[in-house]
Amino acid sequence: MTTATKGPAPSPAGPATTPLTSRRLPSPGALAGTGLTALRRRPLLAVLLLMVLVFQLTTGSFLDTGNLRGIATDAATLAVVAVPLALLVISGYLDLSVGSTLALGGLVAGWLAASQQQSPVVAVLGALAAGAAVGAVNGVLCCYLGLSAFIVTLGMLTAVRGLAQQLFPLPLSGFGSGFAWLGGSRIAGIDAPVLIAVLVLVTGALFLALTPAGRHVFAIGVNREAAHLSGIDVRRTPFTLFVATGVAAALAGAIKASVLDSVVAGTSGAGFELTVLTAVLLGGVALTGGSGSVFGVLLGVLFLGCLQNGLTLLNVPTFWQQMAQGTALVAGAALACFGPRQTR
Amino acid sequence: MTASPSSASPASRRRFLAWSGASVATAALAAAGCSAPDDGASSAQAAPTGGASGDLTRIGLDYPFTQLPLYSTLVKLSTAAAKRHDISLLTTSDAGNADTQATNLHAWVAQKVPAIVSFPMVFEATGSIAKAALDAGLIWVTYGGSLEHQSADIRFSFVEGGTLLGEAAAKWAGERLGGKGKVAFLTDGTIQLGRERTKGMIDAFTKNAPGVDVVAEEQAIDPDTGLSKSRAILAKHPDLNIILGVTDAAAYGGFKALQQTGRAKDDAKTFVGGQDGSAPSLLAIKQGTFYRASAALAPKDIAAAIVDVPRAVAAGKANPSAQVPITLVQRADAARIDALLAQNA
Repeated sequence: MTTATKGPAPSPAGPATTPLTSRRLPSPGALAGTGLTALRRRPLLAVLLLMVLVFQLTTGSFLDTGNLRGIATDAATLAVVAVPLALLVISGYLDLSVGSTLALGGLVAGWLAASQQQSPVVAVLGALAAGAAVGAVNGVLCCYLGLSAFIVTLGMLTAVRGLAQQLFPLPLSGFGSGFAWLGGSRIAGIDAPVLIAVLVLVTGALFLALTPAGRHVFAIGVNREAAHLSGIDVRRTPFTLFVATGVAAALAGAIKASVLDSVVAGTSGAGFELTVLTAVLLGGVALTGGSGSVFGVLLGVLFLGCLQNGLTLLNVPTFWQQMAQGTALVAGAALACFGPRQTR
Repeated sequence: MTASPSSASPASRRRFLAWSGASVATAALAAAGCSAPDDGASSAQAAPTGGASGDLTRIGLDYPFTQLPLYSTLVKLSTAAAKRHDISLLTTSDAGNADTQATNLHAWVAQKVPAIVSFPMVFEATGSIAKAALDAGLIWVTYGGSLEHQSADIRFSFVEGGTLLGEAAAKWAGERLGGKGKVAFLTDGTIQLGRERTKGMIDAFTKNAPGVDVVAEEQAIDPDTGLSKSRAILAKHPDLNIILGVTDAAAYGGFKALQQTGRAKDDAKTFVGGQDGSAPSLLAIKQGTFYRASAALAPKDIAAAIVDVPRAVAAGKANPSAQVPITLVQRADAARIDALLAQNA
């Protein structure tokens, strides 16, 4: 997958003196190596493989098909949101409202499917529209009005949760067999949520690697002024990413609602924003923008999924699990920070 | 000259902020108008209650777990119960945060809300606030337990709820599994309520079904976590027979995980049970699935106690406290399931 590293700080003389071409921007076809080279370039991959090995040796069932299926299905919704969020972070923005947007998406889909007797397609489209609306509000406030993405999306996290609880104070359930296809159906033996996640991952990677807009994402994250002077629309691209992130969060909510056949406004997706941001940052995406890759995000998602699953399999007591998770995350972040840098 | 892309033009931002400020102010005024008590008792210096329950004009309900569906149901039913006695019901918005709860309770004591019904998230930390309320001449009713300083309390035996569920599951294991099998517990060790439920559930089950292997005890109170934890447990123990949850929400996640591994909805060798009496679980019980039991509280009983206990204190009645019963609901209790679903509607 394509990556880029952040360039030097802008010159005090102004953005015009720091031409965009001097930055290390991704070029199509620049893919990570294989084997040991990949492990050297991706320390998190080595940690992930080691963790899988340890869990398999200690539990004996970690690599069972059923368990891997469970990990993949659990990680699918995380990956669906992590990819567009990673692109947003690469472009120098942030969206902390995804947990509440996920809840709203699940509730709208469930309400349309159960109370309004709408088809599953309409239910999902309704959820996506709700997510797009939240993303659009975030995008307008952050990209066009220049407000802080941290504050705006933190506010939206609370506001959207309140809206969801006001609209749907009681749990929704019993969405019917039609809606269950989204979370429960299998295509070629693979669960639908996993296929959707794969689709999102591939789309995200191709977008970053092969499209001009993908390169604009890096350019804006590296130096917004320089990108603007290079003729890149530095507002529309992140705005679109905000909308995409909202849509993805709502889709994840619809998938979860389908899997559980129920959704609760107050608890659905609570804390999800931190989990997904953790996966993105573990995957090597720089919070300051301008650097990151979809492959790294995939590793971050798998790392979290495997860690959670393995600790449960080992029957580690709850509070030790929390300590182990925290320690592993810090170690993963340290590896990502101090490990070998990717250079091209 | 190229405009800076880093920010919107100052004029448009100023306009936006001005409009936003005006909108927020308008909304706040409208909300204040909508929520103002029509008895005019909104003054922060309103006198505390007198000696008769008829003098009680306001009750503050501090239920911290606003994220739970029960919160909405309780507020709705308590508001209706209070209205029947010409009492306004005030509520806090603690969002499950003990610090926010303490701040809100301090504010109510300072405002002299005549009667406060509070469900302390941390009992030890709430004692001093309860004492301050009593010192200020207010009524303090502790919900879900007892404090040293209080006017009365509304008690539930959370241990008993867990015990009822554990005993029912153990009885079922004896009858259907010959006292053998595997059980997983979805527990909560983070708050007192959860610890009590967990203790009651595990102690009762292990005492009454000693031949059943306990293969996992995992923290889970919501359906997502219940689902992912149960999936992992099932990967290691695909022949798992019983999942018992500290909440119905977590147990429902386990219920779905079992189905996703191919277990038939009405499998005769599987038992899932939870606590709360939440609607999806009650529906699953009613439909005859292997979700077989829930230790349920009736929201209507709780709502009545929230209004009646402070009124009894205000009226000077002896022994004003109340004990709200927890009952085990199973498939045979169709009428009770319907009644609970109606209260949650």
